[in-house]
Amino acid sequence: MSNIDAPESDFGTGKKTFSVYLTGIVLCALLTMMPFYIVMHSVLSRTNTLFAIYGFAILQFFVQVICFLRLNSKTEQGRTNIMAFIFTVIILVVVVGGSLWIMWNLNSRMM
Amino acid sequence: MSQPATLEAHHHDGPGTDVFGFWIYILTDCVLFGSLFATFIVLNYPGAYGPQLKEFIQLPYVLTETFLLLGSNFTFGLAMMTFYKRKMAWSKLFLLLTIILGAGFVLMEINEFYHFVHEGYSWQVSGAASAFYGLVATHGLHVSVGLLWILVMIIQLSVTKNVRLNEKRMIMLGIFWNFLDIVWIFVFTTVYLQGAL
Repeated sequence: MSNIDAPESDFGTGKKTFSVYLTGIVLCALLTMMPFYIVMHSVLSRTNTLFAIYGFAILQFFVQVICFLRLNSKTEQGRTNIMAFIFTVIILVVVVGGSLWIMWNLNSRMM
Repeated sequence: MSQPATLEAHHHDGPGTDVFGFWIYILTDCVLFGSLFATFIVLNYPGAYGPQLKEFIQLPYVLTETFLLLGSNFTFGLAMMTFYKRKMAWSKLFLLLTIILGAGFVLMEINEFYHFVHEGYSWQVSGAASAFYGLVATHGLHVSVGLLWILVMIIQLSVTKNVRLNEKRMIMLGIFWNFLDIVWIFVFTTVYLQGAL
């Protein structure tokens, strides 16, 4: 432990506290069990089930990003990370959404 | 060149730049997974050619896998927390727990693939099956590499005395490990839950 007195750096990933991790795991466990319960016991109609499982997935995505990945805008590096992150989300929407749109369109024209 | 001199030479770039570079790599990996997801969704439409994935999926089994990976994320968080409190023995213990949980996940996935292939859902039976193995196994491969990295990290925590250097490594490993769990949320939603509908 040569330079323990140097200030802690977290590279824009936020402070690590037990309460945040505990909140994260409890929320994620709930958000995982809910969609599995809905599908395994078929409590909703097909369309509603799809909306529900993707809703829970997106919620859990945000819980993980905030509680485990600790993405935040408190430091300059944290903000840079978020900008790159948002850019990637846009690319993903174009790649995944665009592919599905094109294939869906082709499929209906083949009918 | 001796180790401290090398570190000094790189110092003006700063460890922050390294972590940001690693973050960019993770985001490009997201794009890789995004294209695999798009391929899977396109090829695995209901009524697609070949055996239906739906008949092979065991949801309670997938739920167990999910909890193993989620648990490993939590123990990694504890390893990170104890590392910042400079309790290295605890940190190594939690990293070991992370490896055990992560290895459980990988073994369960291999076992699942083994059963799928024996029951007739091999990767060569249809485009949908290829896309399924392509997506899920790419994730599994990432987790396996992550396990190896955690093992190396445990050794580095014992060998490297430079706390700043280990801090940077832990942060990057943490980003990688959390990213894998985030990808898994969408794998179990798109492949298993939607596939079982």
